[in-house]
Amino acid sequence: MSAGIVIERLTKTFPPPRRVFGKRRPAPAPAVDGLSLTIPAGAVTGLLGLNGAGKTTTIKMLATLLRPTSGSATVDGLDVVRDAREVRRRINLIAGGERMVYARMTGRENLWYFGQLYDVPRATLHRRIGELLDLVGLTDAAGTLVERYSRGMRQRLSIARGLINSPAYLLLDEPTLGLDAPIARDLRAVVADLAAGGVGVLLTSHYLAEVEQLCRYVHVIDRGALVAEGSPAELTAGTRLPHTVELTLTDPAPDATKAVDALAARAGAEVWHDTDIDGRPRVTLRHPDDLAGELTTTVVRAGGAIARVEVSPPTLEDAILAMAAR
Amino acid sequence: MPTALPTMRRNWLVTIRAYPWTYFVGTVATGVLTVGLAYLAFHAIGGGQVSAVFLADGGTSDYLGYVTVGAAALMFATRMVLWVAKAQITEQREGTLESQLLAPARRLPYLVGVGLQAFTTTVAEVAVMLAFAVAIGVRLPAPDPLALLCAVAAAGVAVFGVSVPLSAIMISVGEAHITQNTLFVGMALLCGFTFPPASLPDPLRWLGEALPLTSGLRALRGATLHHETVGAILPDLLLCAGLGVAYLAAGLRLLGPAERTAVRRGGAA
Amino acid sequence: MSAAWRVVLAEALKQHRRIFGTKLVVFSMLVWPVLTLATTYYTILPVTAAPGAAERWPLVGEPQRLAAFLAAGALAYTFFFSLVQSAWHFSFERVSGTLEALFLTPASRLALVVANGSGALVQNAWLFGAFAVAAAAATGTLHVAHPGMYPVAVAALLVPAVAWGAFLNSLLMFSRDSAFLYTLLDDPLWFVAGVRLPLFALPLWVKAIGLAFPLTTSLAVLRGALLDGEGVRELGGDLALLGGLSAALFALTAVTLRVGERHAQKTGSLQLF
Repeated sequence: MSAGIVIERLTKTFPPPRRVFGKRRPAPAPAVDGLSLTIPAGAVTGLLGLNGAGKTTTIKMLATLLRPTSGSATVDGLDVVRDAREVRRRINLIAGGERMVYARMTGRENLWYFGQLYDVPRATLHRRIGELLDLVGLTDAAGTLVERYSRGMRQRLSIARGLINSPAYLLLDEPTLGLDAPIARDLRAVVADLAAGGVGVLLTSHYLAEVEQLCRYVHVIDRGALVAEGSPAELTAGTRLPHTVELTLTDPAPDATKAVDALAARAGAEVWHDTDIDGRPRVTLRHPDDLAGELTTTVVRAGGAIARVEVSPPTLEDAILAMAAR
Repeated sequence: MPTALPTMRRNWLVTIRAYPWTYFVGTVATGVLTVGLAYLAFHAIGGGQVSAVFLADGGTSDYLGYVTVGAAALMFATRMVLWVAKAQITEQREGTLESQLLAPARRLPYLVGVGLQAFTTTVAEVAVMLAFAVAIGVRLPAPDPLALLCAVAAAGVAVFGVSVPLSAIMISVGEAHITQNTLFVGMALLCGFTFPPASLPDPLRWLGEALPLTSGLRALRGATLHHETVGAILPDLLLCAGLGVAYLAAGLRLLGPAERTAVRRGGAA
Repeated sequence: MSAAWRVVLAEALKQHRRIFGTKLVVFSMLVWPVLTLATTYYTILPVTAAPGAAERWPLVGEPQRLAAFLAAGALAYTFFFSLVQSAWHFSFERVSGTLEALFLTPASRLALVVANGSGALVQNAWLFGAFAVAAAAATGTLHVAHPGMYPVAVAALLVPAVAWGAFLNSLLMFSRDSAFLYTLLDDPLWFVAGVRLPLFALPLWVKAIGLAFPLTTSLAVLRGALLDGEGVRELGGDLALLGGLSAALFALTAVTLRVGERHAQKTGSLQLF
């Protein structure tokens, strides 16, 4: 039964710090407020929000590190509170950074150690350690003490640790934060492969390009509550953000320029004229619709010769910023 | 000494803001329990008496007084060494060593500042321990004030002197815990804090004499237990202070190379 | 059950890597205890050689028996204190982030703290062995009722020590100021446990406090079994007390772990007090 991770009306309010004297503080606002969503197996689901939105709190509840105040979360039907131990067998967490590994053991020993704690069958563990070390590029450094690893190496080992129990569901809390670009890119490839192989992945990230690239579905939360959801494309389209088209002519063509202005006025688009680095005239149009086709046709009909066209669709980042602005 | 007072003040501020109660309790506990142990042993085992050997070597039948003075000196020495010797390595661990080395202040006034502040906290701790001793019946005869003052000063110089080469060792090997504890344990055996060094086998006695506190303790006990004047304890005062200064000079010499080694080793201890 | 055993093996490796062959362990388990033992001997010499002392405490009549008495105390104290040190070290896992990684796993928390403590003991064992053999040889005063008392003495040392270590781990794991507990258990421990003095010399209230610490009774059994030729019959009361204390400590450990983790899940902070 692969029912995925199902969250229903999940709420978490952190109790105010205890004060012996002094008046009782009012209960603070909930960190997560009535959140309901599903994380299916075999796909990467994104959880987005500004800082303090409740992403990490949500992930920690799913990881059984925090207890919900109310509501429920189940992993393949197992409750994260009542069946915590069973849930822990099936999930793992990778948070950005290089903590969660032991400096005084070697890379291989660290993986063996955690494999023991996850009760990974012995034969499987041996093979898996080799595979994971290979996956994160630490095979040569496997026998070196972690205290001698560079930061990037520790981060990679931390990723391997997160995969040691071959989790059915992988929780990623800003996993590429602070990672060098090549390692971050490799991690994204690994995540995509895992999802393709049937693992259910929950990804929180500030790198919206990453979310756009990896996630099939995205939930956007703000102040602990769900504010929007959909595929990245749906979210972007939903906010009616402008496309930008930039067209460069080979030579100045006054007729073409006039025609473009007329087009812009008709469509209600913003328009700029300038020149590029080689002195060629360039026109830029911004409009919620993709006007690239109309623009090129207009220019050609007016006798202009096109050197280059560049289209920039709105990004998820634009969408999130727009939502935050509201 | 423009650096000494600001350093003392800085340490005071840091101390008051985040008072290391753990250190206070730990040091007082050591003193109190040392005296407590002696008290119980004296009454339950010794029946209120001491051996003839102790009478001869220790020069007194007041076993509890003897141990109390030693315990006070032990607390004093431990506290001073903890602060002064660890001053540099603490800076190193907190990452401020390099900035310190860049500042033009000379090392000695800085360490004196640390020492002065440590001295004031020691007074509080020793006072608590002495109150306990008095409460359980230890009676120290009123000392000659001048002699006591000179003995304490000499002991201060001695402990300060020993702390500096220790500090040099600590920052060059980048380790404090093993270094300082080995010194404490060694001093506890050799200097005569809780028993007359004469009880020790000869080779250890000679080793003990090389430590300034051994003569310092003789001077302290002379001033307190035997109500001696400055003149009577002068030889021990001079030996104690002299050795202290010698260790200090050696330590200051070693600090430079040690700091360079520390910076070369790079970063935190 | 086998999952718990795997935790033991895992922690054994971790402790081996942390402790074995380091300078710290040689100093703290061998050099300092030996020097402190010598200091203690010379400190109480003035009263043990006092007139009439042998009537009050017979074994002072033979310096070697006195030395053996103190050596047994030093050995037991170092043994139990090594668990205080190991618990102090374990508390750093909270700060460094690995404790969270441990709580993420399905591993039994009780198994973890017990395994951590026993792992530390095993690593220190060879040093103790050396210390013990040297002490026994030097004083030549081993006096057992029968060879069966050797394993009894060892068990009386090991089982309570593991329980003590597990409890300390669970306590220090959730404590903000581990240094304070460390200080509390340093000097006061040897004082109340009769490490440097015979129990009869301690006032009643000190002995009462001492009874709460497994070291006190463990040491009494050690001295009784190995130095005074006492058998299981004479030591029955002490052994029963040790059994009860160990069980109580294990139970307290389980409770502390549960409360601590529950608190962390509620407040997000692994710090309980």
